[in-house]
Amino acid sequence: MLRYLTKRLMLLVGIVFVISVGSFYLIHLLPGNPATVILGFGATPEAKAILYKQLGLSKPIYLQYFVWLGNILHGNLGISFISQTTVSSVIRSALPIDGEIIIISQILAFAAAIPTAMRSARKPDGIVDRVLGATSFTLLSIPPYILIVVLVLFISIKLGVSATGPSAYVSFGTDWITNLESLSLPAFTLATGSFVVYYRVLRSDLIATLQEEFITMARSKGLSQRRIMWRHAFRPSSVALLGAASVNIGGLLAAGFIVQYLLQIPGLGYTLILAINSSDFLVVQGIVLTVSVLVVAVNFFFDFIINIVDPRISRE
Amino acid sequence: MSDDKLLVVKDLTTTFATAGGDLTAVAKVSFDLERNETLGIVGESGSGKTVLSRTIMGLQPRVNTTVTGSSIIDGFEVVGASENDKRTIWGTEVAMVFQDPMTSLNPVMRIGKQIDEALRVRLGMNRKDAKARAIELLELVGIPSPAQRYNAYPGQLSGGMRQRVVIAIALACSPKLLMADEPTTGLDVTIQAQILNLLDELKERLKMSVILVTHDLGVVATRTSRIVVMYAGRIVETGTTRDVFYHHRMPYTRALLESSPKVSNKSHTRLVTIPGRPPNLLDLSPGCSFAPRCKYATGQCHSERPELRPSIEPGHAFACWNPLPVNAEATLP
Repeated sequence: MLRYLTKRLMLLVGIVFVISVGSFYLIHLLPGNPATVILGFGATPEAKAILYKQLGLSKPIYLQYFVWLGNILHGNLGISFISQTTVSSVIRSALPIDGEIIIISQILAFAAAIPTAMRSARKPDGIVDRVLGATSFTLLSIPPYILIVVLVLFISIKLGVSATGPSAYVSFGTDWITNLESLSLPAFTLATGSFVVYYRVLRSDLIATLQEEFITMARSKGLSQRRIMWRHAFRPSSVALLGAASVNIGGLLAAGFIVQYLLQIPGLGYTLILAINSSDFLVVQGIVLTVSVLVVAVNFFFDFIINIVDPRISRE
Repeated sequence: MSDDKLLVVKDLTTTFATAGGDLTAVAKVSFDLERNETLGIVGESGSGKTVLSRTIMGLQPRVNTTVTGSSIIDGFEVVGASENDKRTIWGTEVAMVFQDPMTSLNPVMRIGKQIDEALRVRLGMNRKDAKARAIELLELVGIPSPAQRYNAYPGQLSGGMRQRVVIAIALACSPKLLMADEPTTGLDVTIQAQILNLLDELKERLKMSVILVTHDLGVVATRTSRIVVMYAGRIVETGTTRDVFYHHRMPYTRALLESSPKVSNKSHTRLVTIPGRPPNLLDLSPGCSFAPRCKYATGQCHSERPELRPSIEPGHAFACWNPLPVNAEATLP
């Protein structure tokens, strides 16, 4: 297991390296001098000259990369020329919001998907399975940006729960109840998409597992249906579920960006879109880098969990 | 004595609803089993042995399956009983040793836990007692250093060891009837004898009855007191092991015996095979199912199904219109 995880970790270090090169190069891809790109068009020649020296822009590009990497590793992502604060402080204030939305949405999605998939798999093509299948398919075909608008229309506006509406965000530290209310619609929206994926993946794996001989064996021991489902069928069926979750969370960040923008919740997504619109490229670079590293870290975390769930994987 | 039979099977029939129509995998099977007796059920692949052994204990698939007739295990009628009711006899009255130890253990559960579970759920043991008993059981089935193996996953054990674990699970709640469904088919020849001897020994020690299901007549020859020969879901011959081997009347039994390899054969002797293949159960003729492959078949064999009828020895019966003569010279494996 340790050897397997070390191997995975090495791979991930490689991926993070590629991501860092990409993020670094982002600034150089844009037309014009990187100093202009970073400081914006209104910058004075003196400021540009200072930055030019700071970043070592006269040196060869690979040396520039190492200077940049050194700064990053010290947590120095540069300064946002719009807000005149450090990029890292911008990210630090935005990131927890994304984290909160995603964690809540995943708890909701798993809490809904696991019991429904269990119920469906017990009688495939039964009436319950068909209803759940049709419902999940309908949900799958509603994109998050439509769902969030519909939810806002009905819950925030028609029902008048204004704390859930646009611009209603309150930080967790200020008032956690209002904070949860203000994030409930985005979390629910993201949970819907995840639920469909998790339900379908787990259902089909459960159906396959329930055909296995060891399930008949468990029956022959005189165990209850409930125990067979949870203790014997669930665990071997959850590897694909965890894999799906691992991939899905990357997509959730992107879906979260749109929802955040629509509701003006100052998470990473909203911040990123504002930064792009105002050509605040160091913020863009910082967020891209952070999100990429996070996705890689989440993947590693799920690898680890999958290994615990199914010890056969690292043995092969 | 007749009141005290452990198992009474009467007209047991299992039908699966398939896309191609109703498939009767087991048809009107009747036999019974004394306490502390070993009965062999033999037949080639697809003859309905596995389905029969599962139906006897009520373990047939829960969907698209119809069972009629009767199977009474120690006074409990299995046919028609609910899953909840059957659960009260599974493990404690009747248990099964499955065919393939590679697939019959949960791959992501430590083997000790798979034994424990039965003890805790069915016998209400606490965690500590169950663990101690599970280690005892592992020792009983001949697993070396059982306390360490307790924590192993099935993937860390060899096929023979896994089959021992499967037996340990089956024995956990001291069943009165052990169904062994081809318990050695998935194993190496050298391991086969070990496992069979173990089953014999455990049967004597624990005073169980055993139903040994196999396609290998060599397996049942010395270990069973009676044999049921199956073909296309029906019993075609039944009797004491001795009668089935030496005084069989049904040509299929003869063919089955002849197709077993014999030690006395010269090397490179061609193995005798039964021409043709088992019939399609979705498209059975009205006559004897074996008729298309039988060299003695007559017109009657193709049009009318023979019922089991008694031979001269007590308890010996066969289903054939043109039986082999009494005391026909039999070739023995």
